[in-house]
Amino acid sequence: MRLSARDKALLDGADGDVNRQAMDALVQLGEAFDAEDMVDIGYAHVHAGMAMYLGDVELMEELAERGARMSVPASTNIANADMENWQATKAPESLVRLQKRAETAHLSMGTGGCFTCTPYWAGHWPTWNTHMASIESGVTIFSNSILGARSNRDGFFAVYAGMTGRYPRFGLHLDENRTPTHRVVVEAAPSGTADFTVLGYAIGAHVTNAVPLVTGLGRRPNLDELDALGVGMATSGGVAMFILPGVTPPYTDKDETLGDRLPSILVRERDLRAVYDDFCTGEENGFDIVHLGCPHASFEEMKHYAQLLDGKTVKSDVELWITTNRTVRQMARDSGLLKPIQASGAKVISDTCPISCHFARTCSPDPSLGVEPPKLRTIVVDSAKQARYIRDMIHCPTLLTTTEKAVETAVSGTFVPRW
Amino acid sequence: MVGVKDFEGRGIVKGVASGPALVSRTPFSFLGDVDIRTGDVIGELSDLRGQNIAGRVLVVPATRGSAGAWRFLYQLKQHGTHPVAIITGELPDPSVVQGAILSGVPIVSGLADRIGNAITDDTILRVDGQTGLIAVVDDQQP
Repeated sequence: MRLSARDKALLDGADGDVNRQAMDALVQLGEAFDAEDMVDIGYAHVHAGMAMYLGDVELMEELAERGARMSVPASTNIANADMENWQATKAPESLVRLQKRAETAHLSMGTGGCFTCTPYWAGHWPTWNTHMASIESGVTIFSNSILGARSNRDGFFAVYAGMTGRYPRFGLHLDENRTPTHRVVVEAAPSGTADFTVLGYAIGAHVTNAVPLVTGLGRRPNLDELDALGVGMATSGGVAMFILPGVTPPYTDKDETLGDRLPSILVRERDLRAVYDDFCTGEENGFDIVHLGCPHASFEEMKHYAQLLDGKTVKSDVELWITTNRTVRQMARDSGLLKPIQASGAKVISDTCPISCHFARTCSPDPSLGVEPPKLRTIVVDSAKQARYIRDMIHCPTLLTTTEKAVETAVSGTFVPRW
Repeated sequence: MVGVKDFEGRGIVKGVASGPALVSRTPFSFLGDVDIRTGDVIGELSDLRGQNIAGRVLVVPATRGSAGAWRFLYQLKQHGTHPVAIITGELPDPSVVQGAILSGVPIVSGLADRIGNAITDDTILRVDGQTGLIAVVDDQQP
């Protein structure tokens, strides 16, 4: 692998041991994947340090104490507790205290601490051809497919990329891997974010690791729907980029023909129904929580929730959770949107979500924290991603429907299905 | 020098480790297939279901994709339930490579089939993730 003079200097410890460790790890990664050299990155979305995982917050503290600093704009991924309003989720205070230590570590490293799976709604908006690294697969697919930035599905090493400003040139950093491998023909009329997570989920399950070219939508989905489409694909498959001609830079409407000779997949309405059906395993009157905001809601979605909930009251034995990032929560507060939402009894939660909080049964936090996941009967959701991980991580049944019908469900106490 | 009972693959993650082999013929997911507290394999899609990966040299044809795999591999390390080394057929996912580097678990790729056919579970293997060399330390086959 060809290294720049600065890469070599970092490897030699010229910028301290913590940067030597970061560069050494990135070089190993690059050699494993036959990268010819490293690229300069312009943005990194990095690990929060998660209080529900043993030794994980300490991992970030150790980097910070050893002098790690972000050399490019960076944002933090979702965390395990709402650090402002944890009482609303009944999170143990011990867990919150540990989670806040990660926030302190990030402050000293200069990371923009938005603690979210949607840093783009908090203003982190990488532009066309910006090389970047991201720990969150939803951020990866949004950046590649909507913004035209270049990102792989990374893990912990996004933080090393943020520290060094470098990343090995492989995967979606190369032009040759940013071309379509499959054509998807949509013969359905998805509408709203729930439908688009489901469409994405159906596509991802078919193509697994691929770059699907999506045709047949008949209209330009709005930004929230585009976000939902990518998140769905990234959940059921290993998809890191899709191509929607006319949306995905640099592809234009004319590029639909690029799919003509590729393996073709047809997605019909019945395929969408099948995903909804798969994630409707709970009882229609036996749910504890209704959840909106997976991925973390945008300001536009907060407006939509405020309209839906205006003058309504959430049923007394039901909790309605709305999860968003702290930046959007502040914008919603400043715009008066939180008033009708909170007046209805709904809870607005940041930094975390049902699958990321103390509900998860697949984590193994330090026993001294006293975390005991509550027994939940069913969670109603409007996102195929949330549904999938509730099943896998909380081990609890779900009911999946649209945003509007999920709100009706929370108000009436009886599940309102998509179909 | 490569001996008659030794194998040479492609070193992916640096480090040297020895342990008893655990051979699988199904792709492995670190997110979902294993209980991090115990190292027990619980995934229904894995032929290792019911076995334990702690302290073993895990031999798998491929890793199944998940961007979160690195975290679970690191959690296995935190709990002391991690495999001491990993041998794969196909190149593992980037997330697995990141987790292995973070956890100091060497990986050699490109020979899971050959090894799987030549040895049995519990054969002691010494894995060198720098050179890609795998030595049979204690061949328990007759």
